[in-house]
Amino acid sequence: MSKLTLKFESSILKEVPVGSREVSIGRSPDNGIVIDNPAVSHYHARVFNEEGRMMLEDFGSMNGTFVNGQRVKMVTLQSGDSVAIGKHTIVFSDSRETEGAATVAVAEQKAAAPKINETVMLDTKERREFLQKVAAVGESAQVAPKRMKIATLIVLKGKTDQPEYTLSDKLTVIGKSSMATVKMKGWFAPKAAAQINRREDHSYFIGGGGKIPNVNGKAITQPTKLTSGDIVEVAGVTLKFVYRD
Amino acid sequence: MTAGLEFGACSDKGCVRENNEDSYSVAPELNLFVLSDGMGGLAAGEVASRLAVETIVAHCREAEANPSLPFEGERVPGLSEASNRLASAVRLANKVVHETAEKNGAEQMGATLDAVRFAGERLSLVHVGDSRVYRLRGNQMEQLTQDHSFVAEQLRLGRMTAEEAETSKLRNVLLRALGIDPAVELDVNEEMVVPGDTILLCSDGLTRELTDAQIAATLSENEDAKTAAGQLVDLAKQAGGGDNITAIVVRQIGGTAGLFARVVRWFKKWEFGNFS
Repeated sequence: MSKLTLKFESSILKEVPVGSREVSIGRSPDNGIVIDNPAVSHYHARVFNEEGRMMLEDFGSMNGTFVNGQRVKMVTLQSGDSVAIGKHTIVFSDSRETEGAATVAVAEQKAAAPKINETVMLDTKERREFLQKVAAVGESAQVAPKRMKIATLIVLKGKTDQPEYTLSDKLTVIGKSSMATVKMKGWFAPKAAAQINRREDHSYFIGGGGKIPNVNGKAITQPTKLTSGDIVEVAGVTLKFVYRD
Repeated sequence: MTAGLEFGACSDKGCVRENNEDSYSVAPELNLFVLSDGMGGLAAGEVASRLAVETIVAHCREAEANPSLPFEGERVPGLSEASNRLASAVRLANKVVHETAEKNGAEQMGATLDAVRFAGERLSLVHVGDSRVYRLRGNQMEQLTQDHSFVAEQLRLGRMTAEEAETSKLRNVLLRALGIDPAVELDVNEEMVVPGDTILLCSDGLTRELTDAQIAATLSENEDAKTAAGQLVDLAKQAGGGDNITAIVVRQIGGTAGLFARVVRWFKKWEFGNFS
């Protein structure tokens, strides 16, 4: 039997057997190996069996997964490999070399808080289901960006500091302000003419600020969802919104 | 002309409840405004909301003095440093409330939370629960937060009508709150503010008594932010005051729009003073 040993500095915190079943590693309590440290992502990485080989995959975590000092995305683990996640280390050992009493410390996660008095929270079971749903969304969002199309604004007309802009932030400000992404030029350009918000589902909504933008020739009266090919006009600048691969 | 903020806040236990479980805190030097509505038996609600707002302001103040102060939780990509710091503060508050509840053996102790911070044209906004943040721009009022309540979720999913949601017995059921679990999912967002915008933070004691239109009218009619906050609370009390009521009103002033408005007001005053 192979196992993963979670260590912090020299102390062994936990040993988890790993075989046909996958072991996930992360900060969320529903992982096989829970590392409760801010440097660790909720769903950070996993170890799984692929045709007899033990594979380690990083889920696109913020702070990375390192095997023997190298940052990795996906690797085959060799016995004795040392996996660094945050300040913790997980040592992978193959069956033949480990006979020690493998203490299978199953994380006895304290069941998420019990009943709240009268009003306020869903009961534990319902809430857990809900949280799992939220967690699942979070997880897919972490893996998703690779497939995600990139929202782009192309300047068709008007004075701006770049010919086009990638909308990578949650908030994109169009204006002359120093914090604007789409930076307008010219004396009379407004500081904050319009804004584009990226919502949780990766849709983009445009709303007015100092000015009311036109989308495809029509002035908008409320935040409006942008679709690929839309033409936005605001404060003398014309922009085309497109999704790129 | 530099833009500035004008603000006013008011909190009242209302006409039915014995104590006020709402808490708020303002840190004008950071342009930071925080509101929380506590829940839990005995004094737990008061403690939770107070702890939450104090922890958040303290963490932001500390970070201001020491920008390398460690972050609580992961940074969210695509957000400014200020927004990430605010999210860090709220995660820390969650932890503090949760640990305090455990230590004291309090059955359950939780709180809603809305925190906003202004930086130039950018507004950072962190939200958990069913307190709300609105933005009034001109005569357009927009709710910037989504309630984390069971009925709001049903409404979003189309399983309930607005009317059913209004009258549902489950109106009080929250899906997310601070302090319940060791970690909490946050809504972290950024919005743009321009001179003339009004941002309102309020507990559900206000929004249950007054409609969005009534709130918008009160905000537009009262130029002074303090008067506006006070009047919102008064109106909610007159309407029944079934719960604790808290309102924080923040106005972005200055800029050319503000200057123009001021000139117009000054001109009007002068005109009236002389001829009427």
